[in-house]
Amino acid sequence: MTLEEKLKILADSAKYDASCSSSGSTRKNTGCIGNAAINGICHSFASDGRCISLLKILMTNACIYDCKYCINRRSNNVPRAIFTPEEICEITINFYKRNYIEGLFLSSAIIKSPDYTMERLIETIYLLRYKYKFNGYIHAKAIPGASPYLIKKLGSLVDRLSTNIELPTDTSLKMLAPDKKTKDINNSMITIRNNISKTFAPAGSSTQMIIGATKDSDKDILEKSANMYKYFHLKRVFFSAYIPVNQDKMLPSISIPPLKRENRLYQADWLLRFYKFSVDELFDNNNNFNYLVDPKTDWALRHLEEFPKEINKVSFNELIRIPGIGITSAKKIVSARKVFKIEFKDLKNMGVSLKRAKYFITCNNKYFNNLSYLNKEFITINLLNDNIKERQLSLFD
Amino acid sequence: MNYIILYDGSFNNLLITIKYLFTNNIKPINIVKEDNFKGSLTEYPFKPEISEFDKLNILDKNIFKIIYYVYLSNNINKELVIYFFLLNYYVYKSDILKHRNLKCVNMALAISHKVSREAHLLKGFTRFKLINNEYLYAKIKPDNDILELLSMHFAKRLKNEYWIIEDEGRKIVSIYNKDKFFIIDRCDIKLNLDNTDNVWEDLWIVFFKTIGIKSRENKRCQMSFMPKKYWQNMIEMESEL
Ligand code: SF4
Repeated sequence: MTLEEKLKILADSAKYDASCSSSGSTRKNTGCIGNAAINGICHSFASDGRCISLLKILMTNACIYDCKYCINRRSNNVPRAIFTPEEICEITINFYKRNYIEGLFLSSAIIKSPDYTMERLIETIYLLRYKYKFNGYIHAKAIPGASPYLIKKLGSLVDRLSTNIELPTDTSLKMLAPDKKTKDINNSMITIRNNISKTFAPAGSSTQMIIGATKDSDKDILEKSANMYKYFHLKRVFFSAYIPVNQDKMLPSISIPPLKRENRLYQADWLLRFYKFSVDELFDNNNNFNYLVDPKTDWALRHLEEFPKEINKVSFNELIRIPGIGITSAKKIVSARKVFKIEFKDLKNMGVSLKRAKYFITCNNKYFNNLSYLNKEFITINLLNDNIKERQLSLFD
Repeated sequence: MNYIILYDGSFNNLLITIKYLFTNNIKPINIVKEDNFKGSLTEYPFKPEISEFDKLNILDKNIFKIIYYVYLSNNINKELVIYFFLLNYYVYKSDILKHRNLKCVNMALAISHKVSREAHLLKGFTRFKLINNEYLYAKIKPDNDILELLSMHFAKRLKNEYWIIEDEGRKIVSIYNKDKFFIIDRCDIKLNLDNTDNVWEDLWIVFFKTIGIKSRENKRCQMSFMPKKYWQNMIEMESEL
């Protein structure tokens, strides 16, 4: 099999993993090739609009497990391949030199056993670091069920070490990934959490959850994700809209991945991590998100009694709860209002988007229009219209 | 008098010129690089004799960075923006950035943000070829003059490689000798650019085409993150042009 054929198979089987950003590490180039940038760098964007930062591949796709949702499962009749450690190193170095990538994302299907698979991953990354002297970003996946000493070894070689939770609940995991054990996944995350340091996965750990393959609600998913941030000290939880690649009676019969849902979950995840929202606040009686408006706007529309808020007065924490005002905008506002009274036109000039915010604020005690417009139906309809208009305009780009 | 102030195009000279204007209380209607000045019937070109003037003292690193980035931009009024920004800087000192009701502050911040954004994008989008198994070569065509910023990045990342980056539009190249980089005019150097690098380029294109998920295809999103103007120098996008 040629290198090209292998790359095709092993990139194809890795592409469903969403957790491949390259942020969080500041590795200096110490006499070899490569360094890492704290904010991550996108090197290209694939046809699906996702950032390509790392060479995302599996070491092999020849899996002994049979997870229902996975293209690589044992029972599928697909071409199988395995990279040698040298091949992975050669591609990484040559892609890196030409500035195609920021580093390597290496995961693997399970061959023989979790420990055996981990040993092969370690061998590869060891070679890349010490023989090929690669000092760029590496994100590796720990194989659940592997011995802690192997997890520790791998962690000391990479920037980020992660374990995929795969599904939001134990029941879902049992149903769709019968060979995987929640206990193994948790133990792997605990070992990683307990060892993270400057010399062990300095960019921390992340995980990924498949969305829409099971009946779990958005609230179940967010609660799970909030708990994982707390207990496993994760840097990121990635959500990956379920993409039907297999036929199975256990799997939902959908043909289009639930991308809107994935998007809402990311927005909500952001609100939990940086905007001090709690999971409960984001839902009313319904445990799933409103598809029409984003979770922050949805929350605000359910609490209109708290609005409008005066931009020149309210605290930073209140500012960031206003729909359309992010952390950066809130910082600008807080700093500017120390030296002058902010009017609507000033917000515009300093680059604060008013599309959503204008319904929820006053500037120097003035509302953008008649205050009777501060009602749920009016705002929802207007925001939806704006979206349609934007989409139509972009057709002419 | 309607003065158009001329300067030699360098950042240093711009700062010295602006200091001269402040000291002599001259209010320019524009400040332009002398090579770009086309002559005018209503305005008087004036190039101050400034050798005896020191550079402006800008102690705040952040402020310095902002005006330097504005200087690197392709904005046609960048010199005036810097002039007004600095004029206010001497009034408000480091509080200047809070004064987002001043046009020059918003403009300076927006322009410098654009420059830094483009430099960041090209840290990712720059594509090298290995020439003669000897040195890496990349061609870029940025809107702003970011070759120096980009070179600082690659001098760290690829510090043990010889590399050359050419800014096609400005006709300048940055040459790195495993120690320092130098920026010179393109016409001062002869390059043999026979590309011997197809194997890895082909593999990269295979990877690029494979990694996108068909059922999630979103070319609009792809284009908004990776503007079309950069595609001409990105090997994986050439077939899309
Ligand atoms: S362990 Fe499951 S999810 Fe992972 S490659 Fe094997 S079948 Fe796919």
